[in-house]
Amino acid sequence: MGEENTHIPDGLMDPAVVVAGWALALPVIAFAIYKLNRNVDERMVPFMAILAAGIFVAQMLNFPIGGGTTGHLIGATLAVVLLGLYGGIVVMTTILIIQCLLFGDGGLTALGLNLLNMAVIAPLVAFALIKVLGRGFDQNRKGVGVPLAAWASVFVTAVICGGQLALSYTISDGAFGIDGIISIPAMAIYHAVIAFGEAIITTGVVLFLSKVAPETLEFGFSPKEAQA
Amino acid sequence: MNRKSYAKAVIVILLAFAIGLVGFFALSAAFPDGLEKVMGDNGVEEGDPVYTAPLSYGDDYGGALLAGIVGFIIVFGLVFLYLKGMRARDKA
Repeated sequence: MGEENTHIPDGLMDPAVVVAGWALALPVIAFAIYKLNRNVDERMVPFMAILAAGIFVAQMLNFPIGGGTTGHLIGATLAVVLLGLYGGIVVMTTILIIQCLLFGDGGLTALGLNLLNMAVIAPLVAFALIKVLGRGFDQNRKGVGVPLAAWASVFVTAVICGGQLALSYTISDGAFGIDGIISIPAMAIYHAVIAFGEAIITTGVVLFLSKVAPETLEFGFSPKEAQA
Repeated sequence: MNRKSYAKAVIVILLAFAIGLVGFFALSAAFPDGLEKVMGDNGVEEGDPVYTAPLSYGDDYGGALLAGIVGFIIVFGLVFLYLKGMRARDKA
C-alpha cells in the first residue's frame, strides 16, 4: 500500500490546531469511556470486539471514486448504529490509536485531530441524525436514517477537516495547511462522493445483520433511544 | 449470538476482506484518497513523521492480507480484553 497515511499526517496542520484537536477530543473520549464502562452489557463484548476489528480491516479497502481518487469507509455510523454513541466513540478511538501506533496510519501528533474528526465528530453527526430520523428499520420509519447519517458523517467530517486545513493556513501565514478557498470545497467535493460509499457499505451491513442476526441491532440503541 | 455465530462472523469478515483486497489492488492501490488528493493537488507534502510505527499495511496482496489479519486480531483482542476487564471490575 506504499504510503501509510490515509489520515492526517504529522506536519500538515499548524501546531496550535494540532493542540486544539487533542484538547477537544480527549475530554469527549474520556466521557464516552466513563459512560460505556458503566453501561457495557456482557452480550455486547464479543460483538463490539468483532465490529471494531471488522471496521479496521474495512478501512484498509479503498474504493475508487473516479478521477484517480479513492476513499475508504470510516465506520463511525456503523459503530454508532450498532453500539450507540459511547460504544461508537470508543470503538473508533481504539481503531485510530492502533492504526497510528502500530501501522503508522496518521501522524502521532495529528492523532488528536484524527480522533476529533473520526472518533468524535463523525459519531456525533451520525448519532444526531439517527436520533432524528431513526435507523430506518424501526417502526414507522422510512429507511433513510442509516444511509443519510453515514453520508453526512463523512461529509461533515471532511468539511471540518478542510476547515482545519484552512485555519492552519491562516494562522501560520501559509506555512501549514491549505488556503480555505481551496481546501474546504475540495474536501467537500471529494468526500461528497466518498460518503456515498460509506452510505452503501453501512446500509448494506446493517440490512445484512437485520436479516441474519437481528438481535445485534438491539445492543446500541434501546427502542426508545432509536426512536428519538 | 452464540460462540459459533461469532466464529462464523469472523470468517465472513476475513473472507470479505481477502476478496475486497483483490479489488483494492486492482483498482485503488495506486491512487490517493480524498485528503491525499487535496494535499497533492495543492503541492502540500507530508511532514516528516515524528514516530516510526513497527508495522505497515504491506505493499502487496500477501503483505496487506497479513497486516489486515494481524490488525484484526489486535483490535479484537484489545477491545475484548478491555471490556471483559471492565465487566470483571464491576462484578468485584
